[in-house]
Amino acid sequence: MPILEFQDVSKVYDKTTKALTDVSFSVDEGEFVSIIGPSGSGKSTILRCINKLVDATQGSIFFDGHNITTADKKEIRKVRKKTGMIFQHYNLVDRLSVIENVLHGRLGHKATITGAAGIYSEQEKENAFAILDKLGLADQAYKRCDELSGGQKQRVGIARSIMQEPRLILCDEPIASLDPSSSKVIMDHLSDINQSMKITCILNLHQVDVALKYSKRIIGITSGQIVYDGPPETLSKSKIHEIYQSSEGELITDVE
Amino acid sequence: MSELAVAGAAANTAAQSPLSLGVHNHIKKTPRGKIKTAAKSKSNTVIQITVLVLLGLTVYGFLTFDYKNIDLATALASTLDNASTMFLQPRLSYNSFSGAMFALLITFSLGALATIFGAIIAFFGALLCAKNIANPLVATVVRSFVAFIRAVPTILWVLILTIAAGLGSVAAVAGLTFHSAGYLVKAYSESIEEVDNGVIEALKASGASYWQIVFQAILPASLSFMTAWTFLRFEINFSTAIAMGAAAGAGGIGFDLFMAGSFYFDLHELGFITYIVVIAVIVLEMFATKIKAKVR
Repeated sequence: MPILEFQDVSKVYDKTTKALTDVSFSVDEGEFVSIIGPSGSGKSTILRCINKLVDATQGSIFFDGHNITTADKKEIRKVRKKTGMIFQHYNLVDRLSVIENVLHGRLGHKATITGAAGIYSEQEKENAFAILDKLGLADQAYKRCDELSGGQKQRVGIARSIMQEPRLILCDEPIASLDPSSSKVIMDHLSDINQSMKITCILNLHQVDVALKYSKRIIGITSGQIVYDGPPETLSKSKIHEIYQSSEGELITDVE
Repeated sequence: MSELAVAGAAANTAAQSPLSLGVHNHIKKTPRGKIKTAAKSKSNTVIQITVLVLLGLTVYGFLTFDYKNIDLATALASTLDNASTMFLQPRLSYNSFSGAMFALLITFSLGALATIFGAIIAFFGALLCAKNIANPLVATVVRSFVAFIRAVPTILWVLILTIAAGLGSVAAVAGLTFHSAGYLVKAYSESIEEVDNGVIEALKASGASYWQIVFQAILPASLSFMTAWTFLRFEINFSTAIAMGAAAGAGGIGFDLFMAGSFYFDLHELGFITYIVVIAVIVLEMFATKIKAKVR
C-alpha cells in the first residue's frame, strides 16, 4: 500500500492564483523522491499539502490509507506527528540550545503542558543525544543555535525531524542555502536515513544534478502540473528543458 | 591623481550611457530629477505635511500666549532663587532619612506590583492580538478594547477605581495595572509579530499544539524584547506611582513630596526628596540595563 497518494489535487490561492492543477501521484513506503521544477511551480505547495500547512482546494490526499483532506484538528496533529519537515532556512529557535531544538521534535507526542514547559523524559533526551551523535553534532548540544554554521543548523533540523520518529520526511529546499560540501553532508545523511531507517523522503530540489544522483525517482513539475514522473535514468535533457520551460543552453546544467 | 580623476569621470559617463531603453521605463525619478530608491513616496508626503502642521501650531501657540504682564527678568530671578534653595541647600526637617527611604520602598513596591500584574495579563492579551498567531476577528476586538484602555490616562483610571476601592494604594495599583496591561499588550504583541514565521511553521509541522508553540518558540524568541518593554513600563510605573502618592493618597515618597511642597512649603525638603528620587531612578536604570544585557 502506498504511504502517500495524491488524487487530482488542485490548489488555488486567493481564488485567482493556481498553484496546483489535477496533481496525481503515489509514493510507496521507503522511496526517495525528488521534486524538481522552476520557482513558483508549486513544489512547496505539494509538500505543505501533505502535512496540511496548506489545504488543498480540490481532490483527495491519502496518507497511510486515511483521507486527510477532510481531517479535523486532532487527525491533522496525528498526520504531522508522523511527518517530519526540513526547511531551507532551517527554522530553528535561535535563542534555544541545539538539544532543545532537537527535542522540539517530540512536542507532537507530548501532552500540551509538559511540552509547553519543555519537560522531556531522560529517554527522550538520550535519544536526542544519540541522534545528534549520529549527525556528528553531539559536542555542539549546548550551544545556542545562532552560534552554528548553516550546515550544522540544517543537521539540527534533520535531528529534530528524526526525533519525531516519522514515517515520512518532507524536505523543502534542504540545501538551497548551503555550500557544496555542507550540501553533500546533508544529502548523505538524508540518503542514509532513508536506507537505514526506512523513512520515506520527499525532497524539493533546485539542483537537478543532485536530484539525479541521489534519488531513485524524480517528479518534474511545471506551473502546477506534473510533466515527468519516473527514474532519473530516463529523464532526458530535453525533458529537463521542458520542466524548466527553457531552451538549449539556458540552464546552469547546460554549462560544461 | 588627475589621471585617476579623468578616468573616474570617463567611467561615470560610460556607466550612464549603456542603459538600454527597457531599463529606463522602470526607473522612477523624484521631482528634482534624481532616481528614486524608496518604495513609495506616499508616506513621505504624509510625514512632511504632519511636520508642517505641527510647526504652524507651535508658532500660533506662542503668538497667542497669555503672559499676564509678568516681568520676565524678575520672574527668572525668583525662579533661579527658588531652584538654588531647593537644589543647593537640600535637607530633611519633617521626615527622617530612614522614613524617606521607607517611603521610597513603598513607591517602588506600588510600581513593581502594578508592572507584574500588568505583564501577566498583557502576555495572554498579546497572544490574542498578535497578527501572526491570533484569530483576526478576536485580534481586532482585543486590539480596540486595549486601545480604549490606553486612551484613558493612568490617573483617570486610578480616580475611577477610587470609587470602588477608596483613596489609597489599592486603587493606585489597580489603576496602574489597567494602563500597564493596555500598554504592554501592544508592546508584547508587536514583539510576537517579530518572531520568524518559519519557526512557528516548523513546530506546527511537527505536530506541536498551540501552547507548546507559545512556550517553546514564541516566548523564547521574543523574551528579550518583552523584558525590555517590561522594564520601560516599570520605569513609567515608578514615576507614576510617585504622582499617585500625592493624587490618590497612595502613600510613599510622592505623598511626602506633596506634603513638603503644598503643606509645609519647605523647599529644602522638596529638594532633598527630588534628589532621592533622581538617584533611585538612576540606580533602577543601571539595574535594568544589567538584566537586559543578560537576557539577550
